[in-house]
Amino acid sequence: MTVAGDVAPRLELPVRRSSVVRESGALPAAAEELTQMVRELRRSHELLYQLTRRDITIRYKQAVMGFGWALFMPLMIVFSGLVVQLALANFSGRALAPTGLAGMAVKAVPWSFFVGAIGFATNSLVANMSLVTKVAFPRAVLPLSAVGAQCFDTAVALLALAIVLPLLGVVPASVALLWVPLLLVLLVGFTTACALFLSCANLFYRDVKYIVQILLTFGIFFTPVFFEPSMLGARGAPIAMLNPLSPLLEGLRLAATHGHNLLEPLSTTLASGAVVMVWSPWYLLYSVLVTLIGLPAAALLFYRSQYAFAEYV
Amino acid sequence: MATEPGIVFDGVWKKFQRGERHDSLRDLIPAALRRFGRRAATLDELDAGDFWVVKDVSFQVRPGECLGIIGGNGAGKSTTLKLLTGILRPTRGAIEVTGRVGSLIEVSAGFHPDLSGRENVFLQGAIMGMSHATIRRRFDEIVAFAGVGEFIDMAVKRYSSGMNARLGFAIAAHLDPDVLIIDEVLAVGDLGFQQRAFGRLMELTRSGMPVVIVSHQLDRVLQMCTSSLLLRTGEVVCVGDPRDVIARYFEGSTTSAEGEALTSDASYVITEASIGAPGVGSGEFIDIRVTCRRVADRPLRGDESVGIVLVSLAGATNVAAFGTRSVSIELPESGTFTLEARIQANVAPGPYSVETWVWATHESLFRGPRLSLDVTPTVTFDGSVQLNPTMSLHRVPEDVSTRVHGFVDDLTQKAS
Repeated sequence: MTVAGDVAPRLELPVRRSSVVRESGALPAAAEELTQMVRELRRSHELLYQLTRRDITIRYKQAVMGFGWALFMPLMIVFSGLVVQLALANFSGRALAPTGLAGMAVKAVPWSFFVGAIGFATNSLVANMSLVTKVAFPRAVLPLSAVGAQCFDTAVALLALAIVLPLLGVVPASVALLWVPLLLVLLVGFTTACALFLSCANLFYRDVKYIVQILLTFGIFFTPVFFEPSMLGARGAPIAMLNPLSPLLEGLRLAATHGHNLLEPLSTTLASGAVVMVWSPWYLLYSVLVTLIGLPAAALLFYRSQYAFAEYV
Repeated sequence: MATEPGIVFDGVWKKFQRGERHDSLRDLIPAALRRFGRRAATLDELDAGDFWVVKDVSFQVRPGECLGIIGGNGAGKSTTLKLLTGILRPTRGAIEVTGRVGSLIEVSAGFHPDLSGRENVFLQGAIMGMSHATIRRRFDEIVAFAGVGEFIDMAVKRYSSGMNARLGFAIAAHLDPDVLIIDEVLAVGDLGFQQRAFGRLMELTRSGMPVVIVSHQLDRVLQMCTSSLLLRTGEVVCVGDPRDVIARYFEGSTTSAEGEALTSDASYVITEASIGAPGVGSGEFIDIRVTCRRVADRPLRGDESVGIVLVSLAGATNVAAFGTRSVSIELPESGTFTLEARIQANVAPGPYSVETWVWATHESLFRGPRLSLDVTPTVTFDGSVQLNPTMSLHRVPEDVSTRVHGFVDDLTQKAS
């Protein structure tokens, strides 16, 4: 089917000018580049959708476990956390609380989202090198689609979590649940920032993916998944919260299993009698700030270096 | 205001690094320390190890024009295309592309082996910038063009390499761009598909959009392009009519116009060669004159021959060759002499090169000057081989033809 006037000059043809970048004010230039990047990505939303679909289809197409895939990693985390907590409980002579298990399940899902998304995204540019060097399209769709595919897995896992939590004795039905969407958005934002930065870094320096692999493997000990920051004592807890993922994970746990309003601080008294801060609204602000600064910074870095991608095969 | 699609390259330079390239952090840290304090090169200078892949390239392509970029390997053709599609940014100069660019480059690069042909059409289409609606609308056309038919729902990893390439080409050929860029995808699939693909490209080229082609298939460049640009080590050697540009390309890639001894004991050398006219109509006669000298102190083999080779530039093939031995002329054992040859240009119209040689039975001894010859179409000739045919016409006797007509008339009457 051809539309009449197909060959006639179209009104308002897009014009692309590439020339040497001229230095203007740093901040306005950055803002302009970011809007440009967002505009390009919005124009390529169908490509983003197709690539995300590709990643999901491939992951499930030949998998024996099917949707079990989405649950495999969180389940493994919960079980290994169970072993760790059992050992701790045995040692300290205290019984294992079922809410501890529920809290761990709540934190296992976002942690496995982060690990999965970063694992796939880091290699996304290098794995599609023939596309990156030969075909013009906004390169950011590659790491973004890796994050997108992981979002799908995580949605499945969250659904499973909603079924499992009541079985563990936690009925997450309080107004505090409204914090969950915000925390998930922050999680996706922070993960996207890391994905953009690391995919780009891995293209220029191929050993980045090994470093990332090691960090992801051992990251679980520096992120409160198996444990709660309060277990580290009055001084340790705020330090553990410096990990930008910590406030997100702890916030999710407190909102989902304790129905805690994140605008209010929460503290607990340890067996030793010391009072430890479990939650402070500042933690939330810290996470918001990290994401609000990190995401544009990573996006800008990615956008500015993408013209060098094809040169650094 | 309606804008016209087009491409403008204005004094474009592109610098690449050859030397120090750190692709691991392990290498980067010591290198960064070493470089610390040293002044970085500005845009106009080359650091040690840098080189210009594209040097001051300017051209314009407007609607209805088709530019063929030719040149040897490493001449900067692919880099020029990457600058054009926006994959690379120029170091200096400006590029302006008006309109949506459709590129037939790496047409199946986005294919995923585990996905079906159908899924890959949508994926690759999206990568090339087609909208989902357009792909859905043109899906049947694409499948029919690729000729993959019932295999469209099979995983692409089970496709033959030909099917793979055909499907990729078919998707790209159904883009509706404002500006078209083609990189060496003309030789895809089997003979039938190649013809179909070429036909489609001609259709796109002639539809009036600006086109840029990079190809080593010079005959295709001749057929498709309105102008051509020759690149050598990043610089524009010449731009203009494809015939002239291709002739220049051959001059550069074969020999200089001067003669050159190929063995140290060449017993004859060619000092001069000339041709009656630079152009000739196909099927007409042309005179070639070659002046040779016997080099006195070199031994004579006895099987030397001074010959002429006609090379088609479009096809890059030797069309015909003949020498003194094949026409039974004895070469003199001393002195300078002139050979005069007359050949009938029984060849397809196009650019040719007339090469002069001294050769022995199994060896080339001396390469003489090259002459260029442009064979133009004539009324008596079209095609790729001149058959010098004769035809005769015989009239059918009058009474036979009336008898046939009468028979037909009878039949029509009976029918009514």
